[in-house]
Amino acid sequence: MNEELDSQLSAMFDDELPEGECELLARRLSRDPLLQARWACYAAIGAAVRGEMRSSSRLAKQVSVLIAGETDLAPADMRTASTRARFALSRTWQAIAGAAVAASVATLSILWLHGAGGAGSVPAPTLAAVIPTSTPAAVEAPASYVVPRAAEARMIVPATELAKYVVAHSEYSTPVNRSNLLSALMASEPAATGVPAELPAYGNDPNPHAEQAR
Amino acid sequence: MPNKRVRERLTWVALALAAAASAIAQEPRQWLERMNQALTSRNYDGVFAHWQDGRVEMLRIIHRNLNGRITERLASLDGSGREFIRNGAELSCYLPDKRTVLVSHSESSASLLTSIPAIDGKTAGFYDITDVMRTRVNRRNTRVIAVTPRDEFRYGYRLWIDESTSMPLKTQLCDAHGRVIEQVVFANLELANRIPDAAFRPDVATDGFQWVRNDATPAVSAGLPNLSALWSALRLPPGFRMTVRSAQLLPGAHDPVAHLVFTDGLASVSVFVESGFATPADQQTVAGVASVGSASAFTTVIDGHKVTAVGEVPPNTVRFIATSVTKSEPAVAIGSPGH
Repeated sequence: MNEELDSQLSAMFDDELPEGECELLARRLSRDPLLQARWACYAAIGAAVRGEMRSSSRLAKQVSVLIAGETDLAPADMRTASTRARFALSRTWQAIAGAAVAASVATLSILWLHGAGGAGSVPAPTLAAVIPTSTPAAVEAPASYVVPRAAEARMIVPATELAKYVVAHSEYSTPVNRSNLLSALMASEPAATGVPAELPAYGNDPNPHAEQAR
Repeated sequence: MPNKRVRERLTWVALALAAAASAIAQEPRQWLERMNQALTSRNYDGVFAHWQDGRVEMLRIIHRNLNGRITERLASLDGSGREFIRNGAELSCYLPDKRTVLVSHSESSASLLTSIPAIDGKTAGFYDITDVMRTRVNRRNTRVIAVTPRDEFRYGYRLWIDESTSMPLKTQLCDAHGRVIEQVVFANLELANRIPDAAFRPDVATDGFQWVRNDATPAVSAGLPNLSALWSALRLPPGFRMTVRSAQLLPGAHDPVAHLVFTDGLASVSVFVESGFATPADQQTVAGVASVGSASAFTTVIDGHKVTAVGEVPPNTVRFIATSVTKSEPAVAIGSPGH
């Protein structure tokens, strides 16, 4: 994994990646097992830092050692682990990583859908909430850890401006579409943060017709 | 002589069969037309579930046609509390979460009854419209009409149309792969002879709300037609054609925007062109995609103008149209007959 990609992933986990890049990376993440493993690492680190792996602090320590050694945690790589201790660790870790990967990919899919679909408001589960632990999840978080913002903050809330366009457009739609368009505006949840939402930055998704169109 | 009589009879039989086949082929399309007519011209009061992205919201719609004047109220019964109330040419959007009421006056809304898009032969060229089956929805007999797009520039529909009233009791919007992306199902629907004015009053208390209107001054109105005449689209997705070229003031705006409408007879896309976005920084600021429900939007900057395309079509279609907008010659649809 190159440094830039790693940096992007880290920024995405900290919710500091621009919306357009986030969308692209989410797509890549859904396809790339190595990237998924790295994402699982971040999820596990987050959980460990927040104390959610307190009951298995030895495991957390070993995980940290593995991560420090730049070991990829893809299942195939884990199967080829040479030492017995590492193999034992990998079996436990595999379960955690599997759950974390599944959760994070699911979360990302939801976030991506919110980005593409706009106005959904299904609360995305936080990564920590689904990592199996034997202690309650509600533990105090050290100030140094940047907790990813909840899904609502990423949601594309229809700006008033966008609502104006949709309303103006609906006058020229078929009756069924007109009703659906206005219904969708109804169903859009208000901005959780109160910050006016702008149209999100457009990524690098190529327009196959751009040359023709121009 | 007997052979001649046989040939004549066979000819008549063939003609009758052809006529019957034609009638059958047209029937699904006629169901759509009857449905559009019913939605616009009937009086009704119904509660329906609007499903999208795995989320369901209950809404109520009350629609009245009183001597050609349309009054309509659409209200969220769940979270947002938003309401849309149309009274003739005036459409008010109550957005309690933004403590705002948008009020727009539209010339077109006065003629909703006559502005139903025609589903003509050209439209049928870009969709397969079929009568799938008869079934029951909410204890009523319905026809299921499937409208399947032939390319990825438009969405498809599945419509459960009440056989006796032509009202759609259930509708699904589907992508090019048939996946449902939006669904509306009526829980109850009453057709009333008379609906009182009181039914169209909002539940929202608007104390302290900001009212944003699009009242045009005479000076601004006088300049509107010239603005829209400047803009058109160089190329369009197959089947789309420009049907409206106008200029209007959006609620709260000081300057008019050019408003172009493109349609294939079922799906439509509006393009809004606004001035005052001249720099590359503006491009970075405003360019992007967004969506509200099944509607996609794409914004870009062309010749110092912000161009926004909005429509109930896939994102690529609004992007295609928005990036085709220019001050030059009128558009031709790519791949359309004759081009």
